[in-house]
Order: sequence, then structure tokens, then C-alpha cells
Amino acid sequence: MMIAWSATSPTAHHHMRSSLAAIATAALVTACSSKEGSQSAGASGAAGGTMIYAAPADAMDVFPPYVSDLVGHIVQDLVYERLAEIGPDLQTVGDKGFTPLLAKSWTWAPDSLSIAFSLDPRARFHDGKPVTASDVRYSFKAFTDPKAASPSAPLLTNIDSVSVRDSLTPVFWFKKRTPEQFYDVAYQLLVMPEHVFGSIPMEQLHTSEITRKPVGTGRFRLAKWDPGVRIELIADTANYHGRPKLDRLIITPVAPATGATQLLSGQADFMDVFPFSQAGALDSSANARPIVQGQPTYAFMAMNQFDPKSKKTANVVFSDSRVRRALSMSVDRVSMLKNVFGDKGHLAHGPFPMVASYGDSTLRLPPFDTVAAKALLDSAGWRVGAGGIRVKNGRPLRFTLLVPTSSVQRSQYGVLLQDQFRKVGAQADIDKLDPGAMQSRVQSYDFDAVIHAYHPDPSPSGTKQFWSTAGIGPAGQNVLRYSNHTVDALLDSVSASFDPAKMKMYTSRAFQQIIDDAPAIWLYDFVVVSAINRRIVTAPMRTDEWWANLADWSIPADKRIDRDRIGLTPAKP
Amino acid sequence: MRRLLVARVSQSLIVVFIVTTISFFVIRSAPGDPFSYASENVTPAVRDHWRAQFGYDRPLLEQFGRYLASAARGQFGYSFQMREPVSAALAQAVPRTLLLTGLALGLSFMIGLVIGVVQAVRRGGWFDRISSSVLLFLYSLPDFWGALMALLIFAYWWPILPAGNIVDPVLHDYMGPSAALVDRLRHLVLPVLSLTLLTMAGISRYQRAAMLEVLPSDYIRTARAKGLPEREIIWRHALRTALAPMITMLGLLLPALLGGALFIEKVFSWPGMGMLAANAIAARDYDLVTATVIVGSFMVVIGNVVADVLHVAIDPRIRE
Amino acid sequence: MCFMSRSIREFVNNESATAIAIARLVRHRSARWGLAVIAVLVIAAIVGPLLSSYSCIEQLDIAHLNNAPPSWSHPFGTDQYSRDVLTRVLCGARVSLAVATLAVLLSMTLGTAYGLVAGYAGGRLDNAMMRVLDAFLSIPRVLLLIAVLTLWHPVPLAGLIILLGTTGWFGVSRLVRAETLTAKQIDYVAAARALGASDVRILWRHLLPNVISPVIVSATLAVGNVIALEAGLSYLGLGAKEPTASWGSIFFDGIELFAGNWWVALFPGIAIVVTVLAFNVLGDALRDVLDPRQLHLARALPEEVTTKKSLSS
Repeated sequence: MMIAWSATSPTAHHHMRSSLAAIATAALVTACSSKEGSQSAGASGAAGGTMIYAAPADAMDVFPPYVSDLVGHIVQDLVYERLAEIGPDLQTVGDKGFTPLLAKSWTWAPDSLSIAFSLDPRARFHDGKPVTASDVRYSFKAFTDPKAASPSAPLLTNIDSVSVRDSLTPVFWFKKRTPEQFYDVAYQLLVMPEHVFGSIPMEQLHTSEITRKPVGTGRFRLAKWDPGVRIELIADTANYHGRPKLDRLIITPVAPATGATQLLSGQADFMDVFPFSQAGALDSSANARPIVQGQPTYAFMAMNQFDPKSKKTANVVFSDSRVRRALSMSVDRVSMLKNVFGDKGHLAHGPFPMVASYGDSTLRLPPFDTVAAKALLDSAGWRVGAGGIRVKNGRPLRFTLLVPTSSVQRSQYGVLLQDQFRKVGAQADIDKLDPGAMQSRVQSYDFDAVIHAYHPDPSPSGTKQFWSTAGIGPAGQNVLRYSNHTVDALLDSVSASFDPAKMKMYTSRAFQQIIDDAPAIWLYDFVVVSAINRRIVTAPMRTDEWWANLADWSIPADKRIDRDRIGLTPAKP
Repeated sequence: MRRLLVARVSQSLIVVFIVTTISFFVIRSAPGDPFSYASENVTPAVRDHWRAQFGYDRPLLEQFGRYLASAARGQFGYSFQMREPVSAALAQAVPRTLLLTGLALGLSFMIGLVIGVVQAVRRGGWFDRISSSVLLFLYSLPDFWGALMALLIFAYWWPILPAGNIVDPVLHDYMGPSAALVDRLRHLVLPVLSLTLLTMAGISRYQRAAMLEVLPSDYIRTARAKGLPEREIIWRHALRTALAPMITMLGLLLPALLGGALFIEKVFSWPGMGMLAANAIAARDYDLVTATVIVGSFMVVIGNVVADVLHVAIDPRIRE
Repeated sequence: MCFMSRSIREFVNNESATAIAIARLVRHRSARWGLAVIAVLVIAAIVGPLLSSYSCIEQLDIAHLNNAPPSWSHPFGTDQYSRDVLTRVLCGARVSLAVATLAVLLSMTLGTAYGLVAGYAGGRLDNAMMRVLDAFLSIPRVLLLIAVLTLWHPVPLAGLIILLGTTGWFGVSRLVRAETLTAKQIDYVAAARALGASDVRILWRHLLPNVISPVIVSATLAVGNVIALEAGLSYLGLGAKEPTASWGSIFFDGIELFAGNWWVALFPGIAIVVTVLAFNVLGDALRDVLDPRQLHLARALPEEVTTKKSLSS
């Protein structure tokens, strides 16, 4: 700031001095009140901005072997890394779709029973230490050691061990060759530093305080975790992939209604599941816009063919396939969809999500026909009794329908189904359960009917987990204990085949068989309306994980608001 | 006085013990256990492992014994849901609730007192009649209703105040000290306002009745006959006497206040004890729920002891 | 029983305290308002659902008639499942009033019994009973209710009533005990004792009629309280189950989408507030009428505190 000192008159000099003082004071004040000072490079540079994510819940675990909840998953994926990243089409067979991440390349042994990964030498953990093969070996141990009791261990049973060829080359040894052996390593395993966590005994891994302060190689670090209030993730500026375009991500758990208001008022920037009922407001909102995506998850009303108490004898109501088919025909799936989702719903077409590569909309489902439904129930021996409820051998056509409190849509479907069943003479008693209780009832097969949802892995063989005989029991997720040997044979053919077109044919036949058995009423595919603030520019979003490319989301400099300009000053402790 | 204090404190300890026993048995005898609240992928084997690790497979009486032993050491168990010791979780939440209820109590006491006195002095007048009706209406509102209305009006339709939380989730840490204070105050307004309006109605009704009892009494008439100014009579002498039972009532109001705070905290996402308790119950975090009930009762009991002591200190009729 | 038939005779002759009290009540201005509102509510609850052409639970047309705003055919509009809200509010009146009345009946019975026994026995037993009562009083009622309703899920309506009843008697028993302590000094009670009357007889014939007035006032205020409490529990998702309507559960359905269908939350909300107000007004009037001296501070626990809205223990 050049000031001409040549003016000599006393008043001018005086003016100059006082204006100089004023300017100096102003400069001092601005310098003091903007603490960022030198870090404001982030505030006005190409990278920068703060995104607030209004999350459905707080994170439970962030240490990869134990992560099972959504927000924990998000934090884990941003702070830690995998060896390779799955492609956008979610192809799980072989390694073609995968892109290198922590491993810059990999080599298959000729017999495909081992894969040697070559770690990126630039990779560093957040504390600056380099990533080595023994870290990968340690991570595998943490995931699979029985004393650590990680719920993810069953997914890694095909991997026999990990050896260290040299400091940058871990080698994975497999028990047998499968189409998805690469996917097992790349999708399920995340790499944690041995020098930070290795000293914790395996039994204490789950409850250790140290694991709540993650140290990984991801492009974000966990700066602060205020339980129940917020999680603050900050850009890792020294990351070997380059720093993310955002400065920070703040995750605040709020109730859905509050989150919706915050999105609409601009107080929050992103909500992954915006309440459907208010989604209309997003189209005209100045602050937020909707992102509508189909999800690879489908919801259905499952009917347990076994008795919930004894678990072995037949269910009085549902063991008869005529009853199951009749109930399937008594509900108007299209109207229910319209009631719950308005115009944005996606109808289910069977035991699969349509967005998956093997989705098939040409299969035959039971039609909506209440007359035929009533006739079928009559022929099955259930006659209308007092109060409009059908009775057979003195027993009423009555069952309990479990519904999770965590899903608004499924709760709504419960009420809608209840009334439609009532109209054909069946009485459903709704029992609303919180996620934990629901979990334990369903896993112990203690239910009559439940509105459940399956989220199959991207691969076609993922269906086996849910609908094959092998999927029954703790290793699988076949909560209905549905078993049909034709379906088993067809699904086995899927796994054995390496040709996507043939796989699709087998899966379609398997699905049609399942539909014909009517173990469930197929309700809807998950459609999620997310809401995002209009100033944020996203990278292409993966359907299963919206946060996959979060490091590439940005806020253009001309659209930034107050909270974007904070810069990278770490928060006060 | 000292004997009273000792007696009350020892009684309070007995009360807290009874409360601990009741809440422990009620909560632990519920069907299920804390580990139901784990995710889809947790196998029954892992669940059994956790159950054994935390002692939930032992008989109930043995669990109680172990619980008492560790409580005596100041450890109230481990919150499985929050992955931290219960005392750590409470240490953060309790002061927030105390702030809310303390402010609300103080404000409602002051406002309620003044209104009640004015109503009693000008009994039957327009102020008395109108304010009585308004207060009756406020008194009849369910807690969550009042809080929801406040939220709707001031945070949605006329958005001048923040819609929940205790501070701005992003900017608070980066604010200067005065801005941070303003931020905290702004977030306090609606919850405190809701809680105060509801509590103040009851207090002023009671204060009115108390004053009406005292005003006709002999020594007030004597004071008037002596020629003391009316103002002094009312605000110093009558009020002093009427104040004493009010203080007792404050002690009795505490459980009600804590319960009401629970709804307020839920509506405004205020991360205090109430919300902690509600979330803990939903997550079957048994240790945390038990500890919350005990701490809540403990606060009530302390409040009562303080109220009793104050009562004796203030009431000229009781003091020897 | 003898007691009742005698009082009926006295009533007919317009001599009994009860008759006098009722006469005074009817003349009390605000009491008339409260009574009128309650009468309207009860009649509406009983008769209303029968007159309506819709059923309490039927979903009329889920694809087209859901979330319809108030109109001639649906004066209170329809909810998200296309059910008529007016009919549901009327049905809800049945549930809310029934639950509250039964729960309060239970609390008053338990509380009166406990208080009578404690006050009459005196000494160490009284002391011990009061300590236990202190413990119960210090647990916030809402917290206990939430805990039990969640952990023992699902709880049927009968269970809810019992739960509400067994958590609401603490304040009343304190009140009754205080009254009993005074009443037991009255001459004819002492006389009866001296004459060798049994304890039960003394409790039932002599003490109970004396302590009944504050119980009636408490009961009236408590009904309003429990209605609000049940609504609050439903707001948290713990009240009546689908498809049963109670005011709280309708409100809970409506508050989720308040912007989209404000009528679903508004009308049951108004119903709750008006009902609680009416019971409070009636309770106040009863207190004025039955015995203004009830307000004596040093003795009794004020009813406001024991029965205050949904907060009380």
C-alpha cells in the first residue's frame, strides 16, 4: 500500500496519519477476526467448502472389521481404503471392472489360487508412515481372527492366508478358484495400519477406544467425533491421490423431519434419504434439489412357512401355498405404490432389484384379483366367520406382521396391507419393532410375516445368500428358510458359469420358480430421493454408495457461503 | 439445622438405593438383551460371546451384585451402543440438561412468582381474570404440543431461530467468543421458552393460592395497622411467608421438570439426558438407561434436600 | 352398603354434603363450562362413530383419496391412508377417554388405599412406607413408562392402562396420608376406636369419607393429565397400535407430514387441548366447591404438583 508522503500541509498530514491509522486498525481487525490467515488458500482457491450431511443416525463403529451400520460405513470408506475399487457397473466377476486404489497393479498366479498385489509406493497413512504388505496381512488377521469376532469373517472364508513377499507385495492365497475371489479381497477388505492397532489384543479390538480414532490412507481424516452430535471429516491435503476438492464433511445425526427442514432452509447440504412425503418441495426449493435413484434393494412381505415358536412344525396359516397365493392376489400393489411413493415409486418385479444387471421385468407375478383370492381361500378351507375374519378348524386366519420403525415406507405398507387383508377376511396384527429387536426376531425365525428388504451383493450369485438352501443358517441370509431344489440347481449353474448372458437366463428361470412358490408378496424396489444443496457439484454417484466419489465433489468458488470459507483450520478441541 | 440436614441426607441415600434396585430389576428383566441391537451381519455366536463378556448370561441377582460393586467404585457400566463407558456419556449430557432445566426453573420461578403475587393482590381484577385464563390454557397444553408449536412457528414459518441442536454444527468451533456465545443463546431460546411457559403456569397458580392464604392473616393486618407501606408489606413480609412452601414445591417439581425436558429435548434435538435416555432405551443400552434413571432420581433427591433446607431457612414461622 | 344407601337418602332429602356440593358446583360458572364440554365429548365418543358413514379403520381409496384436505364429505379431511379423520377423532375419543378414566380409577384406588394405611398406622410403618413412596416419586414417570413400553414391546391396550394406573398413584397417596393424619384426630374417630371398632371399619366408614374430597379433585385433574400423557407416548410411537385410533396416535401420524396434511395433526391436537382444559377447569371448580381449605399449604401436597399434565410422577 503506497501512500504518497509528499503532501505536507499539517491538516493533510494529520488526515493521512489518521486514515493510515484507520487503515492499519482495519487491517488488524480483519486479520484478527479471520483466524484462517494463511490457510485461506482453501477458502478462495479451487478446492474448498464444507458439506453438512444430515444423517439418519450417528456412526456406531468406524473400525472396518466391525462396521455394520450406514454412517460407520461412510466414515470407514472415506478414511480407509481398499486395494482396488469396484467399477460403476458393480461387476463382481473376475477383476475386469476394478480400478487400482491402494494396489497399483496385481498379478494372478497361473493356477489362479493366489494373487500378488503391488502396493502403491506413494501411499501413506495419515500419520505419515508408508503402507506396507504387513499392514495388509494385519488387516486380514483383524478381519478373520476368531478372537476378534468380526461379523465380516464369513465373507472371507475362501481366502486361506496372506503372505508378505516384500514390503510392497502382499500375496493372497485362496482355497479354491471362484468367479468372485478377486471381489472378496477387493470389496470386503480395508487396510489398517499395524503400527497403530497391532498392539491391541484381538479380543479387545471391538471395544478399544483407540479404534475410534481411525488412521487410514483415505482422502479424508477423522478430525473430531462428538458422539450423538457430529462427526467432522477433514480433507487429507497430503494424500497421494491428491487432496479432495472439499475441505470438510460434517455428519450430523438428525430426525428425518428435522433433516428435511434443514435441507430446505439451507442449514444442511445433503440428505441421503429425503422423506418421500415432502419430496415435492424439493423441485421448487431455492436451496436444495432432488436426486432420484433406484437402489439395488427390494422390499417384500415374507410369509414364514414354519411355526415361529417351534420353528420346525408347519405354520398354520402360511404353510399352505394356496393361502400365500391368495394373499398375494388380494393386494393392489400398484395403488399401494402410488400411495406411498406418489409418482416416483418403482414396482418390484420379483425377488431381485430391477437396477441389478440380472433384473428381469418379464416374469409372471400373481395378478390383483380379490374375487379369485377369496375363492382360493374358500377352497383352501378358510370360511368367513364372525366379524368378517375367516376361520378353519376353529382357528382364525390371523397372523402377526412385523414392521421396522426405521423405515417409514415399510411402516406405511404395513398399514395398507393390513386393510387389504381385512377386506378378504384375514387379520394382520402389526408389530412395530426397532432395528435391533427386528434383527433378532428375524434371525431367529420368530415371525409369522415380516416386511423385509434384501440388499443383494452386486453379483448374480448374491441371490444364493437369500434364496438357496445353502443360504439357510448363520452363514447365509435366507430368513424364510425357503428351499427349492430346482432353484438351488439353477443358482449353482449361475455360479459355475462365467458367461454373463447364460447367467442371466439361469437367474430368470430361478426367479420365476421362486415367484410361483409365492413365499412372499413382492412390494417395491427401493427408490431413494436424496436432496442436495444446489451449490454443490457432484461426481457421478454410484447407486449403492453415494459417497464413493465424495472426494471429487466440489463447490465452485463463486457459490460459496460462510461455512465454506472456514478453511482448513482444525477445530478447537 | 444440622440434625435435619443429616437426617435428610441419610434418608436420601436410602431413597437412591431403592431407586437403583427398582430400575435395575425392571430394566434387566425385560425380554431380550442389549446385543439384539447389533446389525444384520452379527452371528449368534458373536452375540453369545458379547453376552458372556458383559455378564448378561449370569443370574439376575449376581448381575445386581456386580453392578452394585462397580457402582460403588463410580463405574456405571459400559454403553455398548456408544462404545464408551456410561459415565463418559453421562458426563457430557447431564450438564446440558441441567442448563436447560435450571434456566427454565429459574425463569418460571421468577415470572410465576411475580404473576402470582400480582394476581393475589389484585384479586378479581382484569389482570387476575385474563392472566388466569391464559395460564390455565398454557397449563393444559401437553408438553410436546407446546414445543412443537414453538418449533413450527419460530423455526419453520417465521425462521428467526434455529430448528434444533445446541450449537451450530459447523461454524460454532470457528466463531469468536462473542459470536459463539450468541450462537449458544440463540439455540437456547426455544427449548427454554417452551419449558418455561409450561412450568410457569403451574407455579403462578400455586403462588396465587399461597399468597391468598397469607394475605388475610393476623400479622399482615398488624403490619398494615402499624402503617407500613403496602408495597413493603406485600413484597417483603407476605411474600416471605408464602415463599416457603413454594420452595418445597420446587423440590417436588423436579421429577416433572426432568420428564418434561425429555419431550423438549426430543423435539429440539437437544443432546441432554432426556435424549440420551430415549436413544438408549431404543437401543437397549441397559446400563445407560439404568444409570440415567439413577442420576435423574439423584438430582431430584438432592433438589428436595436443598428445598427442605431452604424452607427451614426462610420460613419465619418454622425457624426457632 | 349401608354407607351408600344412607347417603342416597340424605341426597334425596337434599341434606347431605354431597348434594350441597353438587348444587354449588352447578352454580359455579367455569365448572358449568367444563362439565358441558366433557358431556359433549362423552356423548360424541359414544354416539359419534355410530352416526358416521365411514368406519374408524377403513381405507377408502389409497391411490386417490389419501391426504385429502377438509371438504364437505370429509370435514376433517383424510389421512395418508385415505381414512376419514373426523370418524377417527371420534373413535379416538372413545379410546383416549376410556384409557384415561380406567387408569385414573386404578391410581386413585391404589393411592387412597396406600395413603389411608400409612396415615392410620403411623409410626415406623408410616415412615417406611413414605420412604418407599419417596423413591417412587423421584423417578420421572415418563422415563419409566417409555422404558417399560419399549423393552416389553408390544404392550396391549390393557397393559397400557395398568401401566398408567400403577405409575400415577404416588402423589395421591401422599395427599391422602396427610388428610388421614388430620382426620384420625377427629373426636368420633377416637370414640369409635375406644368403642372397639375394627380397623377396617374405621378406615372405610369414618376416615374414607373425610379424605375423599381431595381424591375427587385429584382424579379430575389426573384424567386430563393421563390423556395428555397417552398422547405424548403415542407421539413417541409407543401408544395404541394400528389400526386403533387414539388422539395421540392420529396426531403422531399427522405430525410427520405436517406441511402436507396439517389437518391430521390439528384436529386431534385441538381435541386433546380442549379436553385437558375442560378437566382442569372442572378440577379447579371442584376444589373450590368441595373445600377451599384444601389448599392449606403446610399439610398437603398440592394437587397441581401431583397431577400436573403429563409431567407428574
